[in-house]
Amino acid sequence: MVNVTTERIDGVLSADVEGRIDGSNVVQFEEAVRTAIEDSDRAVIMDFEKLVYISSAGLRAILLTAKSLQNRDAKLLLCSLSDRIREVFEISGFDKILPIHATKADALDSLNN
Amino acid sequence: MRREIRSGDYEFVFAGNGIEALAKLREHKDIDMVLSDINMPEMDGLTLLEQIPSVDPNVRSVVVSAYGDMKNIRTAMNRGAFDFVTKPIDFDDLRITITRTLETIELWRSALESRDKLVVLENELSLANRMQQSILPTSFPESDSYQVFASMEAARDVGGDFFDLLPIEGGRVGLAVADVSGKGIPAAMFMMSSRTLLRGAAIGQSDPSKILREVNQLLCENNDTAMFVTLFLGIFDPETGEFVYANGGHNPPVIFRADGTPSLLPTTDGIALGIFPDIIFQENSITLAPGDTAILYSDGVTEAENVEGEQFELDRLYEVFAEAPPRDARTATDDVLKAVNAFADGAPQFDDITCLTLRRGGGAE
Repeated sequence: MVNVTTERIDGVLSADVEGRIDGSNVVQFEEAVRTAIEDSDRAVIMDFEKLVYISSAGLRAILLTAKSLQNRDAKLLLCSLSDRIREVFEISGFDKILPIHATKADALDSLNN
Repeated sequence: MRREIRSGDYEFVFAGNGIEALAKLREHKDIDMVLSDINMPEMDGLTLLEQIPSVDPNVRSVVVSAYGDMKNIRTAMNRGAFDFVTKPIDFDDLRITITRTLETIELWRSALESRDKLVVLENELSLANRMQQSILPTSFPESDSYQVFASMEAARDVGGDFFDLLPIEGGRVGLAVADVSGKGIPAAMFMMSSRTLLRGAAIGQSDPSKILREVNQLLCENNDTAMFVTLFLGIFDPETGEFVYANGGHNPPVIFRADGTPSLLPTTDGIALGIFPDIIFQENSITLAPGDTAILYSDGVTEAENVEGEQFELDRLYEVFAEAPPRDARTATDDVLKAVNAFADGAPQFDDITCLTLRRGGGAE
């Protein structure tokens, strides 16, 4: 089960991701994110506070999102990772590719500075 | 009824008897339903019922019988009639019967379509699983100086893990455990190329960091699909016990010293392969003393979940050997997989579970 709740804050799409992203629902997750993103969004912040599990298929979906945003000079930021999720990003080295912030406010701040 | 006929919802094809009916069925492949009398010349309705499936098994038949003729109605139903109407025909009843029959056919058709799609999907998954299993080594070095054993339990619909043993110059052996992102045929294909590139890069090359760099470089070329692979590569020298390693975003192995003390291999910087070209991987080394064991694994081990949603995690991996350190590679691998399965206790397996054990001989044996 994965739930994506979005809102738009000042041209930035904020997406709260809840549940788990694995092979069984990664297509659903990609679809939810892709349809939520608009061309006018200058950045996407994924809030992982309520994300309990992410598989490598999930990481790939995140990477694809980051790449497609990058193609039009938009950014993907992550925030509020639990220790467990943070570990997955650290081990795979994804923390070196994607900016990770402690809170959504921090992520927004980084965009405005 | 007349309205539906007039509006062209239904199209009728008429036949005078069973033989004609079969000929019409062969001629008009789009016929969904047969409405047939029982008493007909040359071939009666009950014989026709038996013949229809050989022409088109998806056609549904409704028989028309005399009121109260239970014997023929029973026979017709036993021969696969979908429903019956009795004479004199009540047109309302006939309309309802036809509508219901056609609705059922519609559902049946879509069920068949879903089934066909599922069969294709299942075939694809089983092919991917077979590809995955076929590239895994099945024989392992087992000598007084060292032993290796590895095993991979594939999750039902995820195919991503593999392990490999590579001969390295100077009597050394390369041990790799990897996890490809995604599932199905694309993941299996990416796995095949990762493994082939790894084997190629390990020819005439004995620095794990350089091998990873080369594999990463080649995987990054034309990788539009954003596939990636996490890969740990360690090179073991049975002479000296030296274990040199580099890590491409994979879970760090666990070392159990001969006295049972566990520790994580000190991390080296690295990112999963196939994402960024030109990455320089760090390298590190430790020495395995006689009786020391290295356990390489995939996240399917540490992230295995039980029904409560708890994860296996490293602590439980340490616990497997809390009472006694690993005695031999095969038993140690089996013990880890058994512990993971016991912990999951029937909870669904989301990821492949891979464990590879390297044990240096000697010591407390």
